[in-house]
Amino acid sequence: MGLTLDLDLKKCTSCGACAIACMDQNDIDVERGIRPFRTVFDWESREPGCQKFIHISIACMHCPDAPCVAACPSACIAKDPETNLTIFDNTNCIGCHSCAMACPFGIPSFNEEGKMQKCDGCAVRIQNGLEPACVRACPVDALRLVSSEEIEGKDKENSLQKLGREVLEFQT
Amino acid sequence: MERTEQLIKAKIPGKETGIEIRRTICDICCPSFHCGIDAYVKDGRVIKVEGTKGHPMNDGLLCTKGLSNREYIYRRDRILTPLKRVGERGEGKFQEITWEEAYRICAEKLNGWKEKEGADSVLFFGGYTKWFRPWLHRLAFSFGTENYATESSTCFTSGFMAWKIATGRGAKGDMAHCGVYLGWAFNPYHSRYLNGKKADEAKARGVKFIIVDPRITPAVEKLADIHLRPRGGTDGALALAMANILIQNNWIDREYIDRYVEGFDAFAEYVSGFNESNLEAITGVPYSQAVEACRMIHENRPMAINESSAPLAHHKNGMQNYRAIMALSAITGNYDRVGGQQPILHTYIHQASGFLTEEEEFVDEVRPAHARKPVGAERFPLWYETEREAQATDMARQILEEKPYPIRAVVALGMNLRMLPDTENIIRALKKLDFFVDTDLFMTDAAKYADIVLPACSSFERGEFKTYPGGYAVYTNPVIEPLGQAKSDAQILCELAEALGLDDELLKSGYENCIRYMIRNLSVTVEDLKANPLPTLVPERKPYQEGAYIRGGLDTKSGKFELDSSLIKDHPEWGLDSLPTYCDSLDGADEEKYPFALCAGARIPNAIHSRLHEVPWVRSLRPYPTADISLEDGKRLGIREGDDMEIYTEKGSITVKAHPTARVLPGTVYMYHGYREANVNGLLDGNHLDPYCGFPSYRSARCGIRKGGEDHGTDA
Repeated sequence: MGLTLDLDLKKCTSCGACAIACMDQNDIDVERGIRPFRTVFDWESREPGCQKFIHISIACMHCPDAPCVAACPSACIAKDPETNLTIFDNTNCIGCHSCAMACPFGIPSFNEEGKMQKCDGCAVRIQNGLEPACVRACPVDALRLVSSEEIEGKDKENSLQKLGREVLEFQT
Repeated sequence: MERTEQLIKAKIPGKETGIEIRRTICDICCPSFHCGIDAYVKDGRVIKVEGTKGHPMNDGLLCTKGLSNREYIYRRDRILTPLKRVGERGEGKFQEITWEEAYRICAEKLNGWKEKEGADSVLFFGGYTKWFRPWLHRLAFSFGTENYATESSTCFTSGFMAWKIATGRGAKGDMAHCGVYLGWAFNPYHSRYLNGKKADEAKARGVKFIIVDPRITPAVEKLADIHLRPRGGTDGALALAMANILIQNNWIDREYIDRYVEGFDAFAEYVSGFNESNLEAITGVPYSQAVEACRMIHENRPMAINESSAPLAHHKNGMQNYRAIMALSAITGNYDRVGGQQPILHTYIHQASGFLTEEEEFVDEVRPAHARKPVGAERFPLWYETEREAQATDMARQILEEKPYPIRAVVALGMNLRMLPDTENIIRALKKLDFFVDTDLFMTDAAKYADIVLPACSSFERGEFKTYPGGYAVYTNPVIEPLGQAKSDAQILCELAEALGLDDELLKSGYENCIRYMIRNLSVTVEDLKANPLPTLVPERKPYQEGAYIRGGLDTKSGKFELDSSLIKDHPEWGLDSLPTYCDSLDGADEEKYPFALCAGARIPNAIHSRLHEVPWVRSLRPYPTADISLEDGKRLGIREGDDMEIYTEKGSITVKAHPTARVLPGTVYMYHGYREANVNGLLDGNHLDPYCGFPSYRSARCGIRKGGEDHGTDA
């Protein structure tokens, strides 16, 4: 069906609830230096007199044509046939960081054994009729699980996916 | 991965995984919240939390703090057994003892002082998490003293007192039906999220929003039709000027004023002094903008106003400023009406739920007849007049000076060493005590000064009664066993009453029995409530009836909304103004040496006092003690994002990380409190207090800042 996580930047307030819900869901041990899967930014223009505030919550973008899948020499990363989310099984991960090099958003993080881990869109929760933890926690309905088609009609101010695509096009 | 293994990893509830969802509440912040929690429990441990859908307080949502409950309840420094101090006070050396031994020592010490110097030589102090207050209050009274103090000596009560003086009751704004919302210090997007949803809905309905805040918050970004940015602590002057504008333009409700408002003429004369000639100079708000806001109020009636517990109150002039703001509701005829400000009565622990319990009776029926006036009563007579309890901001002084009488022992629950200003002085006072017992979940720095430390459990480990707005009540069941030997605070207080041999059978009979007593006039029972994991609608709930309170005469001397307080007028010896007069709120430090205004305690999304600074998940969102300064000041002083920055006052200095931002005004420094390594309240003058209510001026201190800097240590 082709699902992905998208953020409405206009609705987000950088409250951080999604980030904590993600840490709780995924047992992220920040004290041991493990990087959380989801990061929240509260950005603003640094020029005095020009006030612009930008709210972003970002994790794996679950790219339709995910470069990390092809980059992994151990075939740890795959597209979930049911949801098309980018899932992983790091049993065979050799810690080569090829996925991290390939990812345009710098998403893959590595656990204490050096094995890759990242947001899997809570694919198993979705399969069991539950929302992803971050979506469940978002108080302003900014973070949503959406179909790829739904993104097409969106403006980049209301869609991190749209904005991300623009950034990628600019880079290439 | 095996299927079951995969399901367990994803924490999917069900028979196959052995994961069960059990309902409890979050009590990390104060009892006017206490959101519903779905705890995912496996093998007796909480493995995940979510907000409870359909819960009247949060409908499935939890803020960053609430979502951190798992790390909070399993914090490494949880106290697991009663402890007896063996090292020096503050050193943190304790030995484990039994509950029996702990109670025996407490009884010997407390009864000893009662015998020697009277019950008033013992002070009972309630910090977080506040839910146990009726039990602590009753214990103090049964013991024989009015020396009961709480953290509400610095939060909420100032505004509550202001309302009581004017109308005899508290009040709340009716956003659901207003035409214009005066969001004075209003930002619902970092906690109490349902208010944010309601605000979004109101905005979509076409409600006009005037946000009054020196900072640019998400509420300003999302809601503000007009954003008024007064400098911190000048809110009163702005409100008085707005009153003047409303009066001059005849945008007021004359008929309502004639019938229901007391002291209008004196008020009108006083506010005429706040006008085009001085408003911008005092507050920073352009006069034309204030006129525009008043026009918006006039053209979009009814008007509801945000009620605020801390930001407006934490100034020397805080209560008077609050009175000036609420006066806008009176002169425009917006008090006690649909879409305006509505009178409320508290149901249970400061929660207004539309029905009544016997909580007040539970406490007051054992009030001692011959107790001395409590701590702070002489210094803050208006506080004592309306609150009839001790004002904690005078506690350290009385312990140290022994005037008007000595305090020898303190029974505390959840005391925060860094809550009150001038931490050094608090430490001196705690060291001087003959006996100090503290109850807490964690080995806090306050607990380290205690002779006996008792382990409290979290809301997950106990069952408790709660009420919620809209007529709801619940009685939770524990979702996990208490950690170690921890017990519920209320149960500890009941057992302490037994150990002290008090003549109070009800208190000694335990928490649940006390609840039965308090809800005996309701048609729901403890059993009914326990059987329902979600809050139950109480049949006795009554909907709001427009104007019923004001038509019947308010509980004030005049029976009217008092702009000019008869209570204060009747006591000229207090030296307080009966009108909501305005004065400058900054302290008396040298303006040239300390050119910045320090706002200590301005809220951030990921902390509540010091309670979550040691919780890694939320702490990771803002890992370093960080102060907000304006972009202009950062540029001028060469201070960039992430630089070390020193904040200094006459009391000392702290080193923090700098965050230059367009969100705050030039000349101001915003620093969150409660950090061990950067204790901003330690920089404050403990005598810079609001004379009306005794609240500290946390947000009106003069300070200086400079780049770099060593920590000279203002904290123990």
